[in-house]
Amino acid sequence: MNKRFLQRKLAVASLAATSFFLAAHASAWTLKEAAAPYSGTTLHAIFLDRPGYAAAEKLIPQFEKETGIKIKWDVIPYESTRQKEVLNFVSGGAQDIVLVDVVWIGEFASNKWLVPITKFTGDPKLADPNLNLKGFFPILLDSFGTWNKVTYGLPFDNYSGLMFYNKCMLKDAGFSEPPKTWDDLLNVYAPKLTNTAKNQYAFALQSRRGETQSADSFMRMLWPNGGSLLDAKFKSNLMSPQSQAGLEYRQKLMKYMPPGIVDFDHAEAVNALAQGQVAMITEWSAFYPTLTDPSKSKLGECLGIAAEPRGPAGLKPALGGFSLAVNAKSSAKKQAAAWLFIQWITSEQMAKPYLEAGGVPARTAVYQDPAVQAKYPFVKPMVESWQGGVPDYRPRFPEWPAISEIIGEWGTKMMLGQVSVKDGAQTIGSKMEAILQKAGYYDGKKPLLK
Amino acid sequence: MSVSLFGLVTIGAAPRSFRARAGRRRATVWHGLALVVIFLSSVFPFYWMVTTSLKRQADALAYPPLWRFTPTLSHYIDALFTHDVLGSLINSLIIASSTTVLAILLGTPAAYALARYEFRGKQDLWFWFISNRMVSPVVLAVPFFLIATQLDLIDTHIVLILLYLTFSLPIVVWICTDQFRNVPVELDEAARLDGASPWRIFWRINLPLAMPGIVVSAIFAFIFSWNDLLYALVLTREDAVTSPVAATNYMSGYELPWGEIMATGTLIVLPMVIFALLVSGRLVQGLTMGAVK
Amino acid sequence: MLNSTVSRAGKAKAGAYAARTRAGLRFLPRSPAFWFLFPAVFALAVIGIYPLLVALYNSVHQYRLADLAAGTPFVGLDNYIATLTDPTFWQALGRTVLFLCLTLPIEIVLGLFAALMLHRPGLAWMRAAARVGLVVPMATTYAVVGLIGRLIFNRQFGVANYLLGFFGVRPLDWLGDPTLAFVSVMIMDVWQWTPFCALILLAGLTMVPKEAEEAARLETRKRLTILWHIERPYLLPGLTAILILRSADMLKMFDAVYTMTRGGPGAATEFISVYIQRIGFRLFDQGLASAQAILLLLLTIVLSRLYIRYIYQEIA
Repeated sequence: MNKRFLQRKLAVASLAATSFFLAAHASAWTLKEAAAPYSGTTLHAIFLDRPGYAAAEKLIPQFEKETGIKIKWDVIPYESTRQKEVLNFVSGGAQDIVLVDVVWIGEFASNKWLVPITKFTGDPKLADPNLNLKGFFPILLDSFGTWNKVTYGLPFDNYSGLMFYNKCMLKDAGFSEPPKTWDDLLNVYAPKLTNTAKNQYAFALQSRRGETQSADSFMRMLWPNGGSLLDAKFKSNLMSPQSQAGLEYRQKLMKYMPPGIVDFDHAEAVNALAQGQVAMITEWSAFYPTLTDPSKSKLGECLGIAAEPRGPAGLKPALGGFSLAVNAKSSAKKQAAAWLFIQWITSEQMAKPYLEAGGVPARTAVYQDPAVQAKYPFVKPMVESWQGGVPDYRPRFPEWPAISEIIGEWGTKMMLGQVSVKDGAQTIGSKMEAILQKAGYYDGKKPLLK
Repeated sequence: MSVSLFGLVTIGAAPRSFRARAGRRRATVWHGLALVVIFLSSVFPFYWMVTTSLKRQADALAYPPLWRFTPTLSHYIDALFTHDVLGSLINSLIIASSTTVLAILLGTPAAYALARYEFRGKQDLWFWFISNRMVSPVVLAVPFFLIATQLDLIDTHIVLILLYLTFSLPIVVWICTDQFRNVPVELDEAARLDGASPWRIFWRINLPLAMPGIVVSAIFAFIFSWNDLLYALVLTREDAVTSPVAATNYMSGYELPWGEIMATGTLIVLPMVIFALLVSGRLVQGLTMGAVK
Repeated sequence: MLNSTVSRAGKAKAGAYAARTRAGLRFLPRSPAFWFLFPAVFALAVIGIYPLLVALYNSVHQYRLADLAAGTPFVGLDNYIATLTDPTFWQALGRTVLFLCLTLPIEIVLGLFAALMLHRPGLAWMRAAARVGLVVPMATTYAVVGLIGRLIFNRQFGVANYLLGFFGVRPLDWLGDPTLAFVSVMIMDVWQWTPFCALILLAGLTMVPKEAEEAARLETRKRLTILWHIERPYLLPGLTAILILRSADMLKMFDAVYTMTRGGPGAATEFISVYIQRIGFRLFDQGLASAQAILLLLLTIVLSRLYIRYIYQEIA
C-alpha cells in the first residue's frame, strides 16, 4: 500500500512539475517572439552626434539580427533637433522613435504627440516581464520621461553635472581635494588658482547664449543657493534674496574665469580644462571620454572627478538627459516595433553592454558593481548626484523654449555687465510672467505643472 | 613726386620717355603688389581651413599657430566616409548643376526679351523677378515643407532643384539682361533683314556674344544653390542631404572636432572652385571679346 | 536693365530700332517676347507665389506650430502690430541697418579697387590667379564661414591675435566682447562678399569701349577723372545690382552669424534674421514670423526702388 501511495504522490508531483514547467515556458517572453509580427518593419529615429548614440549605433545590429526590425537614424545637431521633430509631428513626417530632451517632455506630451507607455506595458505580447521600471533611477524616469504622472519615455541618454578638475594644478596651489562648497570655491580656491599673467584661471562656466546659458550657467547658480526660477504659484522667484545671492555669486566669479567666458560653449570649457588653462569646470558627465582621450586632452593622470560643489541648500547639481518615446502619429505596427527597441536598449540586460560601448545607462543595478565603479571614475559622483537633485531643474512645460530664449539674452547681458543683476532679473521675471500669463497659468486654465 | 592709388606716377621735369618707362615699370610693380594682396586676402582663410584640416587636434589648437606640422589625412577619411560627406557632395553636385542648367535654359530667353522688347509693365516684371530673393526663408520653409510632404517629395532631389530656381533664376535674368542689352542692336537688325526668326537671332547671334555674362550668372547660380542651408535642412532627411547640411552636423557647441570640420569645409568648397576654374577660361575669352568692337 | 539709353555711337540706330519694336510688337501671346518670357515666369510663379501667399495668410492668423491645439484663428493685424511695437524687433533691425551701412561701402570700395586692378592690362597670369582666388570666398558655405571665423578669431589660439601680436597689440577678445564680435562678423562678411562686388563691377568695366578709354587716357593722367567720366556709366547698373542684392541678403543673413556667435554675446550680433529665426523655429510662432518677414519684404522693396531711382537714374 505504501508503494501505491508513493507512486500516486510521485505521479501527482511529476504532473504538477510538468505542468508548472510547461506553464513557465509558455509565459517566457522573448524578444524574438514578441518581434516576430513586426519583422521587416523599418523604423526612423533621430540621434545626436554624441557618445551615447554612437554606443546605441554599435548595439543596433544585434537588435536588428534578433528581431528583423530595421532602424534608420538621422544624426543632426542638438540645436536643430526640436525643430526637426516638431516639423515631423506637425506634417506627418516619418519618425517613429522620438528623442525627448528633458525640457521638451511637457510640450510633446501636452500636444499628444507621444504614446503613454502603459499602452505597451499593459500588453503582455509587448511587455518584457523584466522591464522593471523601478530599476531606473527615479529622478531620471520622472524627469526625462514622465509628465503629469504619465510616463511616455524611458531614459536613454543620461547626464549629470559633475566637477572635473585638474588635481595637479590644485596640488600646486596647496589643495589636496576639490572644493566641497561653492563658497569655498569662490573665497578659498579661486584666488589661489588664478594667475592672469600665466593665463591660468580657477574656473570656467560655459555661458554662451542659448540653452547653454540658461541651463548650464544661469540655473546652476540658483538651486544650490536655495533660489529658483519660479515660486509655487509660477510667478518669478528671481528677486528672492537666495536667487539674487546666486546670481551675484556668478558676477563675483567672473574675475576668476577666462575673458570671453560669455562666448564659451561646452567645447570651449572642456578644452580649457583639457589644455591646462583652467583648474575646474562643472560640466556634463558625458565629457569624461573627451577628457581622458590623449589626443584631445593633456590631463592624463591629473584629471579628478567629483560631485558639484554644494550650496546652502545642499547638493543640487545640473540635471539633463534624453528619453526615447514612441510617436503617436506612427502606425500601430511601427509603434509596437519602436516600443520593443526602446524597451530593449534601456533594459537591465543591455545596461552593461551600453556602458561599455560608451553610453551612460539609467539603471541602478549596473553601477553597483565595484568593477564598474573602478573602471569608470565618473560613476560614483554621478550616482551620488542622481540620488539628490531636482527633477524640475529646468521647468519642463511647453513654455520653456520661449523662457530659455529670454534667459539666454538677459543672462549673458548680466554677465557682460550691460545690465545689473537686479535689473536683469527683473526683466527676465516680467517677460517670463507675460508668457505664463498668456498661456493661462495664472487664471487656472492650465494646471501648474513643471 | 606722387604715387596715386592705381599706380600712375607723376614726376617732375625729367625726359619723358625714360621717366615714362620707369614710371610704367613702377606702376607695374604696384599693380602686381595689389594683385598679390588681393589674391592673398581672398585665399588666406581658405588656406587656414585647409591646413587646419590636415593637423591633428592638438596641433590645431596650438598657440602660437603652427606653420610647420606633420599632416594627417585622417580627418578627410572620417569626413568622407564616417560622416558621409561624400554622399552629400554627390547630392549637392546633382542638385546645383541641375538647377543651374534649368535656370540658364529658362532665364536667358527671359533676359533677352527684357533687354530687347518694350511692353507695358516691363519694369515691374523685371522687379518681380528680383523680389523673389527678398523674402526671408524662415517663413517660406514651412509652406514648402507642408506642400512637399503632401506631394511626397521630401528628401528628393527634385524638390530642392525646383526650390532653388527661386533664387538662381532671378540672378540669371538679372545679369544676362544687362549683357544682352550691350550686344549691338545692328546685328539683330541685320539678321532680321535677312529673314531670321526671333529665336534664330537669339540663339545664333545674341547668345554667343553674351557668353561672359551667362557664364558669370551660371557661376553665381551654382554657388548660391550649392550654399543654401535652411531649405536643405528642412526638406531633406538622409537621401538627398546636401553638403551644407552635412557641415552643420558640427554646428553644435558640444564638441568641436576642428580637423573634421575644416576637412568638410574644404571638401565642400573644392568642387565650386574647380567649376569656376573650368568656366573661367570661357569667362576670360568673353570678357576680352566684349572689348573688341 | 530698365528704360535707359546707352551712350555710345550706335545710339541713334538703337533708338530707331527700339521705336519700331515698341510700335510693332505689342505684348501679345503671339509676340515672341511673350514666349521668351513665359517659361521663366510660369516656373517662378508656380514655385514662388504659392508659398508667399501662404506666408501672407499665416501672417494674419495665429499659427503656432507647437501649440496647434489652440487653433489658428484669424487675428487681423495683431501680428503686425505686435511686431511694430516690439522693442527687440526694432533693436535687431537697427543693428542690421547699422551693419549694412558700415559693411556695404567697404565691400563696394574694395570691390571697385579689385575690379580696377583686374581690368588694368598687363600681368596676365597674375590677374588670372587673382580672379580665381576671388571665387574662393564666395564659394565657401555660409555655415563654414562662421566656423572659420570662430577658428581665426579665437582668443586663445586664433591666428588673428597671433598676427596682431606682430604689431605689438595684446590679444583681443574678438568673440567675447560685444563690439569686437560685431566687427568680426563684419570682417567675415567683407571677406566673403567683396569678390562678388568685384566680379560684377569687373563685368561692367569690360563693357567700356576701349577707344573711349584710350582717348581719355591721352587727355588726362588722372585715373580718377577717367573713372568718373568714362567708366562710371558702365558701373552704375552693376552698382545698383550690388546694392539691391546685398541689402536683401543682409536682411536675410543668418547662417554665418549663428555659427560664429549665436547672436551673442548678449545681443551684439542679434541681426534681424537671427531674431526671425528664433521666432519662427524656436518659438515656432509662424504667424508672427510671417508678419515680420512681410514687413522686411516691404522694406527691401522700398530700399530697392530708392536705389534704382537715385543711383540708376544718374546716367540719363
